Amino acid sequence: MGRDRRFFAGLVGVAAVVTYLIYTGVSDTMVYYLTPSELLARAAASPETMEQGVKVSGMLVPGSHVHSTEELLHTFAVEDPNDASVLLNVEFRHPLPDTFDDSGELEVEVVMQGRYLAGGVFQATEVLTKCGSRYEAMPEPPQPANAEAGDGGMIG
Amino acid sequence: MSAIIPGVLLALAAVFLVLHPILTGREASMEWDKEELTEAQHRRNVALLALRDVEYDFHAGKLDERDYRAMKQEISSEALDAIDEEEAEWHARGVEGVELAVPGASEGLEAEIAALRASIREGIVCPQCGHPNPRGSRFCGDCGSALPARTGATESVAGGS
Amino acid sequence: MIPALGEVALWIALPISIWGCVLAFLGGRWSRGDLVLSGERSTFAVTALLSIAALGVVVAFMGDQFQYWYVYNYSSTNLHPYYKFSGLWAGQRGSLLFWGLNLSLFSSLALWMNRSRNRDLMPYVNGVLLAFLAFFISISLFVTPPFEQLGFTPTDGRGLNPQLQNYWMTIHPPTMYLGFTSFTVPFAFAMSALMVGRLDARWIQATRKWILTSWFFLSLAVIFGMRWAYEELGWGGYWFWDPVENASLLPWLVATAFLHSVMIQESTGMLKVWNMGLVVLTFLMTIFATFLTRSGLIESVHSFAQNLTIAWIFLGCLGVTGGVALVLIIWRLPLLSSDRQFESMLSRESAFLLNNLVLLGVAFAVTWGTLFPLITEGLTGSKVSVGPPFFNQVNIPIGLILLALMGIGPVIAWRRASPRNLRRNFLFPCAVFLGILTILFSVGVRHFYALLTFSLGAFVLTVIVVEFWKGTRARARIEEENSFTAFVHLIRRNRRRWGGYIVHVGVVIMFMGFAGTAYDREVRQSMVPGETLTIQSPFGYEYALTYQGLSTTLVPSMRQAIALFTVQKDGVDIGSITTERQLVLAVNPPQPISQVGVRSTLVEDLYLILATVDDAVLLGSNDPQFQRATFQVLVNPLVPWIWYGGLILATGALIGLWPGAGAPTRSARMGSRGGASTGTGAPGVGPNGEASSTDLSTSVSATVG
Repeated sequence: MGRDRRFFAGLVGVAAVVTYLIYTGVSDTMVYYLTPSELLARAAASPETMEQGVKVSGMLVPGSHVHSTEELLHTFAVEDPNDASVLLNVEFRHPLPDTFDDSGELEVEVVMQGRYLAGGVFQATEVLTKCGSRYEAMPEPPQPANAEAGDGGMIG
Repeated sequence: MSAIIPGVLLALAAVFLVLHPILTGREASMEWDKEELTEAQHRRNVALLALRDVEYDFHAGKLDERDYRAMKQEISSEALDAIDEEEAEWHARGVEGVELAVPGASEGLEAEIAALRASIREGIVCPQCGHPNPRGSRFCGDCGSALPARTGATESVAGGS
Repeated sequence: MIPALGEVALWIALPISIWGCVLAFLGGRWSRGDLVLSGERSTFAVTALLSIAALGVVVAFMGDQFQYWYVYNYSSTNLHPYYKFSGLWAGQRGSLLFWGLNLSLFSSLALWMNRSRNRDLMPYVNGVLLAFLAFFISISLFVTPPFEQLGFTPTDGRGLNPQLQNYWMTIHPPTMYLGFTSFTVPFAFAMSALMVGRLDARWIQATRKWILTSWFFLSLAVIFGMRWAYEELGWGGYWFWDPVENASLLPWLVATAFLHSVMIQESTGMLKVWNMGLVVLTFLMTIFATFLTRSGLIESVHSFAQNLTIAWIFLGCLGVTGGVALVLIIWRLPLLSSDRQFESMLSRESAFLLNNLVLLGVAFAVTWGTLFPLITEGLTGSKVSVGPPFFNQVNIPIGLILLALMGIGPVIAWRRASPRNLRRNFLFPCAVFLGILTILFSVGVRHFYALLTFSLGAFVLTVIVVEFWKGTRARARIEEENSFTAFVHLIRRNRRRWGGYIVHVGVVIMFMGFAGTAYDREVRQSMVPGETLTIQSPFGYEYALTYQGLSTTLVPSMRQAIALFTVQKDGVDIGSITTERQLVLAVNPPQPISQVGVRSTLVEDLYLILATVDDAVLLGSNDPQFQRATFQVLVNPLVPWIWYGGLILATGALIGLWPGAGAPTRSARMGSRGGASTGTGAPGVGPNGEASSTDLSTSVSATVG
């Protein structure tokens, strides 16, 4: 049974190493995942914490996307999903994902990672977009020939 | 609508296919296939494979000679145990006098087993400690002392004096 | 008509699968061969029915039958036929049917391969498989029906996400599904071995090649996914530690552990409970993976839209499966005792066990990181997440341990190794390790992990090359063959070992490819035609890219803006490279999509992205004033090694999978053992070509004296 004990010792050893790595990994790299309102609240409460990275998700404001060909810089605005009056201005200096669409046809949720700078701008290092309802939907049935059939709204 | 008739046919076909064995009493085999390995045979194969690994490890310099001989002895015994058990199984099934030797074949497990069994059974007993060693061994697998060379050994005991 | 027939077939498949499942178990329990046969026929019937159902979906797509909700949402009239065909697995509904189809095909294959073997196990194997088939068919019928109709026929569909309109769409998902579903078979064998109480090494034999096959498909699928992301997403990256990516990695990690620990059980009869646990865990991981992907509970770019019903269903499946497996294992614990114990800490068994623990450690870390947001939200209310920095920080050190083990394993002997011989055998590889370390350090490679990866990689490669060399030399001497023949025969005699070494070579090269990330280079610039951008490669080259211009073309369903560059390497013209932005008109609203330009050499990739372009260009203008655009250029060192390594890995796996050299002759029953194994699917230990007598007796005689 001494051998089995060594086996368990090995198991415990590896488990200890892995646990240590996970623990330090989490504490070193974890980021809060906030909405714009939460971000602004935190920034107001403790400005120094904003030097750390943070992850923010919000809804892309249609028409807010500005890009030029003079420099690789995208700016756009993201609003809080629960409170459209809360806006966050974002700067991003990398190519945007292809699904980034601010035409307003679809609701685009943006998940960004970056830092909230003192000037009130969110400097993103990573931008992901999710278009939830884009590719699964019920189409609108064809309107019958006579105009009597007022069945109400279009289905998006 | 047009799928109803083919659909019904499909259903009938499936049901017929599935119920057919019960109606006719046709059975799937639940028996050991005679050509399938039994557990004893399987263990024998594993032991022989382990033997080959030991040979290979020794040749590749991963094992020193003492460990090599000792392990060879261990695994050979295991192989032999499995072979014995296998023979018992065959006897129990009423197959008598099963011959191990297969005439002339140099490939095939039978010759291998024969050589192995012979080498173990007709091996040398160490004069120092009484431990039985496979035929052709030069050193006792247990105590390490030199073993007397066999005369008349037919295997290629190179340089045996 | 065919889609309607397909729907009917799906409905018929459900009662048949339930019937077959019940009868299989009853037949096994009561030893009634007729019931067992009925159960087996049910599996074949379900396979045929699901094939018809899948055919129905495909025909609906190819025929633009938009009255079907699923076709409407994933196809359009102008969609390329390849993608109409792949509509079968493009969305939640079709892919669940596709899963069922794959599972049924593998089930039939398993039954057929074992028609004369393992007959005591097969009724239960069949029962388990049919249970899962019934499960997936039920979901397809009641939760995500692929044949749901709209009630009217729209004139056109919504089209397929342009990012999926890429040839990888026809390759990556099916391979992934093949990998996932094929794991069900080994699991079924494990469960039936527990139920029957026949827990010797033979159920392992029956499953080992299956697990290797599944592992092979899953490895391919993951690599294909990386390549797709690299080509298509346009960021120069190939792995993002995205939850769905992680989910596909988890079964792979556990299966790799199982592949190794099974060798311990085969040769020593140890770790029976461990192996049983690993098989179950591997399968549970596949269910977990599909749960993560389909429930959408964890945010991911890959996951389907959030669906709580599906989430609960798969979570329930996970729980029930795990619970039943656990009960069975505990019930049969007495039969799972080891035949022997570990003899020495210095042995291949120990190395393999360490490998197992490390792999499971990675799996745990990845699971933890992936579920972290859910866990913290549940516990603390605030959402915290970890991303690539976490996964890299945790997994890279562990990966390096694995790398080192790959070099240690082959050199250590089974059961017990002599320290003296170990020292002797490790001398040269360790020298190579230190040598490479020194050389790399002196030429400027200072990144700690990269240094270690390359040096350890060299260490492992040295060990493997020496193994091949020693083995070939020994065989050439014993069998009196020339080196080349000896080499080929060496591999053929023990495909598992040598195939495994080749897989390791592939993994080492892939790891080095990953390590190249430490030296990525990047330049961003706004340019007009005529201007040149320069970028340095970490290998010392200088690339000069001269922007020639932007041209727009209109092809059916797409508008392209193509930027052309000529490339010079250290002043020498080496050709051109293009990058595009496309506006895909086949969907509504039109979606822009970028196509990067990649130029690969043996050691690095030059990667060009058209980042921003004037909107006027996308609307068709060729006016010179709109020719200015911004570009991002990357040099990705060693990325090509990932794909080369993957190819080598796949080759090694295929070698390991290949059936034995020549079917053994069945000796006559009288006077012999009937000893030769059947060869098909009974891998590894069969005497055919493996432990052949020529090998053994001549090597026995050669060592004597």
